[in-house]
Amino acid sequence: MLRQLRLCLALLLAALALAAPAHAQGPDIAAIVAKLGGKISFPDTEAVIAELAATGDPAAERPLRALAAGQLVWRDGDEAVFIATSGAEPTPLLDPVTGADAGTAPKDQLNKIRIKNSIRTAVDDALAGLTLRADDPAMRRRAAENLFAAADPEGIDVLDAALAAETDANVRAVMEQARAAAILKSDRPGADKEAAVTTLTARGDRPALNALTAFAAAAPAGEAQEAAARGAAQIEQTIALWGQAQNIWYGLSLGSVLLLAAIGLAITFGVMGVINMAHGEMVMLGAYTTFVVQEAIRTQVPWLFEWSLAIALPLAFLVSGSVGLVMERGLIRFLYGRPLETLLATFGVSLILQQLVRTIFGPTNREVGNPDWMSGAFQFGQMAITWNRLWIIVFALTVFAALLFALNRTPMGLQMRAVTQNRKMASAMGIRTPFVDAMTFALGSGIAGIAGVALSQIDNVSPDLGGSYIIDSFMVVVFGGVGNLWGTLVGAMTLGIVNKFLEPYAGAVLGKIVVLVLIILFIQKRPRGLFAQKGRFVDA
Amino acid sequence: MFKPTQWIRSAVAALMVASTTLSGALAQDAAKPTGEPIKVGVLHSLSGTMAISETTLKDVMLMLIEEQNAKGGLLGRPLEPVVVDPASDWPLFAEQMRTLVSSDKVDVVFCCWTSVSRKSILPVAEELNTVVFYPVQYEGEESSKNIFYTGAAPNQQAIPAVDYLMEEGVERWVLEGTDYVYPRTTNKILEAYLQSKGVAPEDIRVNYTPFGFSDWQTEVAAIKEFGSAGKKTAVVSTVNGDANVPFYKELGNQGVAATDIPVVAFSVGEEELAGIDTAPLVGHLAAWNYFMSVDTPENKAFIDKWHAFIKNDKRVTNDPMEAHYIGFNMWVKAVEKAGTTDPDAVIAALPGIEVPNLTGGISKMLPNHHITKPVLIGEINAEGQFDVVYETDGLVEGDAWSDFLPESKMLTADWTDPVNCGNYNTETKTCGGATAPATSN
Amino acid sequence: MILARFLGPRVWLLVAALLAAAVLVPLSNLWLPADHPLHVPSHIVPLLGKYVCYALLALALDLVWGHVGILSLGHGAFFALGGYAMGMYLMRQIGPRGVYGNPVLPDFMVFLNWGELPWFWHGFDQFWFAALMVVLVPGLLAFVFGWFAFRSRVTGVYLSIITQALTYALLLAFFRNDMGFGGNNGLTDFKDILGFPIQAGTTRAALFAASCVALALGVLLVGAVTRSKLGSLMTAVRDAESRTRFIGWRPEYVKLFAFTVSAVMAGIAGALYVPQVGIINPGEFAPVNSIEVVVWAAIGGRGTILGPVVGALLVASSKSYFTAVAPDTWLFVLGGLFVFVTLFLPRGIIGTIDHGWTGWRERLKASRAAERGAGAPPAAPPQSPGDLPSPAE
Repeated sequence: MLRQLRLCLALLLAALALAAPAHAQGPDIAAIVAKLGGKISFPDTEAVIAELAATGDPAAERPLRALAAGQLVWRDGDEAVFIATSGAEPTPLLDPVTGADAGTAPKDQLNKIRIKNSIRTAVDDALAGLTLRADDPAMRRRAAENLFAAADPEGIDVLDAALAAETDANVRAVMEQARAAAILKSDRPGADKEAAVTTLTARGDRPALNALTAFAAAAPAGEAQEAAARGAAQIEQTIALWGQAQNIWYGLSLGSVLLLAAIGLAITFGVMGVINMAHGEMVMLGAYTTFVVQEAIRTQVPWLFEWSLAIALPLAFLVSGSVGLVMERGLIRFLYGRPLETLLATFGVSLILQQLVRTIFGPTNREVGNPDWMSGAFQFGQMAITWNRLWIIVFALTVFAALLFALNRTPMGLQMRAVTQNRKMASAMGIRTPFVDAMTFALGSGIAGIAGVALSQIDNVSPDLGGSYIIDSFMVVVFGGVGNLWGTLVGAMTLGIVNKFLEPYAGAVLGKIVVLVLIILFIQKRPRGLFAQKGRFVDA
Repeated sequence: MFKPTQWIRSAVAALMVASTTLSGALAQDAAKPTGEPIKVGVLHSLSGTMAISETTLKDVMLMLIEEQNAKGGLLGRPLEPVVVDPASDWPLFAEQMRTLVSSDKVDVVFCCWTSVSRKSILPVAEELNTVVFYPVQYEGEESSKNIFYTGAAPNQQAIPAVDYLMEEGVERWVLEGTDYVYPRTTNKILEAYLQSKGVAPEDIRVNYTPFGFSDWQTEVAAIKEFGSAGKKTAVVSTVNGDANVPFYKELGNQGVAATDIPVVAFSVGEEELAGIDTAPLVGHLAAWNYFMSVDTPENKAFIDKWHAFIKNDKRVTNDPMEAHYIGFNMWVKAVEKAGTTDPDAVIAALPGIEVPNLTGGISKMLPNHHITKPVLIGEINAEGQFDVVYETDGLVEGDAWSDFLPESKMLTADWTDPVNCGNYNTETKTCGGATAPATSN
Repeated sequence: MILARFLGPRVWLLVAALLAAAVLVPLSNLWLPADHPLHVPSHIVPLLGKYVCYALLALALDLVWGHVGILSLGHGAFFALGGYAMGMYLMRQIGPRGVYGNPVLPDFMVFLNWGELPWFWHGFDQFWFAALMVVLVPGLLAFVFGWFAFRSRVTGVYLSIITQALTYALLLAFFRNDMGFGGNNGLTDFKDILGFPIQAGTTRAALFAASCVALALGVLLVGAVTRSKLGSLMTAVRDAESRTRFIGWRPEYVKLFAFTVSAVMAGIAGALYVPQVGIINPGEFAPVNSIEVVVWAAIGGRGTILGPVVGALLVASSKSYFTAVAPDTWLFVLGGLFVFVTLFLPRGIIGTIDHGWTGWRERLKASRAAERGAGAPPAAPPQSPGDLPSPAE
């Protein structure tokens, strides 16, 4: 309710501003901003914002933005208000209205003007009124979206005026939709409303659906009302379709995470037959490598931060790979042919690695930042696609392809396959089997390490990181079929998608239980997984 | 080969040697105060899933004990910490509780984080009559003679938070929690409370996810959808521990801004935020009884001492640490008042004890073994700290039994005479719970 | 006497040791003065009882792993199910003494608004029913699971992983509060068992004695089964399943029998464990717990009867010891122990002792034979379980 009132006010003022764009002698912005100095309450702050908006003066934009960003401060003593963009000692100050340099002040003499969400919203609304004719199209679009959400008949005139001046097609579209939403709530004639219903139906998202359903429920029967009901039904259908697409996307995304976690295991366990319980810890080491790399970059070369993941990838591969190499040489090579004993020994190693990381880095989560290209989302139809998930899918598939290439097209890959298929024969052909074993295990561990780099972007970086993926990884490899990389790919994607389709109906917990039961049943049907290795086997 | 009796004997002997070496090993650092040391049990997980939260509490206890020893100990005797690792394994909590009391002869135990670990040690504490301090916000619906709850009860955290959001115009609610008893009970109380305030049932969405849940895409999308219905929506999150980081990352990535759909969390503090880039989360809320950013001389001194003790001035402080600070000081005062560490005397002395908290008030131990605390609501800022945006007028008294659940609204706890029980029924005027006019104990 | 020779001296020694412990530990705890050097302190008794339950669990696992070659990574599930059955009985025994004073509903149901007792809680107020369920639920689950898995010839690693999936699914299910088993908190705050207060020293002592007797019976059972003709068949299935099938046996029934019996033993272990530790919660289903059981059996020496018992006692007690003495470094010690045993004692402790013993005897016989001159046939190695080759996978 409060928000609506504020918007109305902002709109009214914007209308004023549009009517008389150039103030000869407006109220003094600096004088109003100065009222923020000293300890003031939240309602008083809001009053000042309203007052600033009422000036209709674009000069109010700078102090308003600084306020919303939490950069507005006041100085002890004279209670003068400044913008402080850094927390350095002494803090450089800027004039809140002109942005000019205003000297410095000791940090402990400055007091941040307290803000909260409702203040930020008030600032947004004030800015929307001020910025419907801003230079930046993105800002105008945001202002129009705000008006769409408000759907206030009072705003129609403002929008008409703005539309007349608008050149950007995208912004025009949003303004027209905002106007349509407002018209549905107004007492305009039926024809206008029908046109509005058409505009909203074309917009086709959930807010449009809400506007249409609300209108269809409230309006008297008539052509516009029927059109709205039809439009709502149509949008609902599209949204349902997009919902399925979204589910598939989520499933692929979960599948790619499972694939990343499992693909290293597909080598150490699937190809070599080592039940590597320390696999999860290899993933964890990769994630901690990312943390160390980012920490070094933060303190030494901050401008490299966007590249931190690219730098961490080879390092993580090396770190986890060499730990894998040491494990193979020092432990696992004594246990070939006794896979269940590798389980024991690697379980011990996993406990040791976990505690080692806990001792070095502490038990708490460590912060791994997302570079800008991994943050945020974009809209694809009615789906929101987050960049980090998109990149992780791309990354998982790239790793998969690279691995496939390495195993099938390189001499080392040939030797690896030869040794795992028939060790004695390979040895007789002159292949140094111990060397190949070591390299294979290091490769599998290294890939787990680079999976850790990716997982650090979406999950906790803590000593327990590995433990949360190990069971799922084994399920994927076994479900797909031990010893078959394609099986791992298909297995991971299938499990991901099934899980995500079950989740909306059964809930996350029950969904996962159902998936586990399905795996158990599936293994009864195909005791060697999805892609069973062909060949003449007696007992495994 | 060997005689069976010998085998048993040596096993038992080995265990007894184990326990004596334990007490010997830890008895080294004798401080200025002389005499028989008073032993303080510190029972917090140092490994396993809960190590992430509980290790800090162990460190803060060591700091408090060191400080007390520097002040001359207690009753002229030095304090001696006995630290063990229950490894996030709930039966191990009970086992080590028993060993601490029976074998190490500790006089008080500072224990636990999760509800299940508290439930696990509770029968042992009652059987062996030990004083236990529990420092974490919890679901209430419990009052034991031996346990002192220095964390928040639901009425000291959840209800003021919801009140604040209602004032801010929120009309539609998502109650998002991890599937265990604290979120279940809290959400039950909140549902009843919201409906009593006129919120329609279709404006409340309740959802539970498993522990350590990491794939939040579907749920965050559902929250966005629920929030697009035209009414101001907020998420009340009782999501626990590790699941929070991926949850907040997904919220940030899917663009759920605090100005659109604010999330108020009851389990996210400074320590949890230390693992996240908080820039996309600015404006989301948390309700606690203490924030590191609170500007009081007591808090500043505490933070300085903590940084000096842990030798790292980047480490944060949080609400359960303050709870241990309050609890420890209350115990010290109670022992001084009673003149002995005898559990019965200390338990009798504790209600009414007042000590300063770190937010500028005086917290008091109530007869129901809960304490008075202020309720603060903070918004996450870009530095990973909280800016306080709301504070209750005075201190709020912890309520063991919720007034918003039909089964417990007639119950109160009072461990002082003449009532002296944890589940006093104010309707039937008897102890023994809600339904049965039971035999008094 | 025949039975004595049939089972071998070691089984009898172990049984005698257990029975002696069942008598002596309670006696020493209850009647010796506290300062007597042989007095077992009260807090040690339930601890020892816990270890004995673990030993029974390890023995159960070893029946399928050491003797039939099925590596189950889900035996914790049967243990926990047995524990839950007992826990439900103990919950019902609380009656109106719960904090809400509800005579029928356990506390967690009261405050989560359960109107009435769910159907699967009925009957658990009777001990005989609970005891039946302790045996029946794990046994039935194992039977059904094994029926499908063994008939479909799911073997080796695949079987191990689906047993892990089983316990993981149960873990998630029992975590759900909607299931009506108390969710994450599980069942706790028990008051009495069969009318005896559960906190009393005598009850504790009796529970310890019962655990020892159960373990002794388990040792006898495993000993008898493995030394019988069925035991030979089990060995055959373990070492060459296909060959056994080709000569006309049905390995799936042998496996099914062992798996079901083993699950029942695990369930009984769980049922005895719960009143002694005072809590059962879904954490017992955690896959890591089941792996720990495998570790016990492996460290003690699988397929040796004595081995799993020793392994469980050793690892569990060292965990208790090190978590208290070295809270920051105990995982290094435990992890290092696992690595050490796999590398240097691949047959486990008991297996290595046996191996060393028989190897020494063989060498002795061989040298005597050499003294006596050529022509004497080499002595056949004695039939001790330690001689069996390691299970092939």
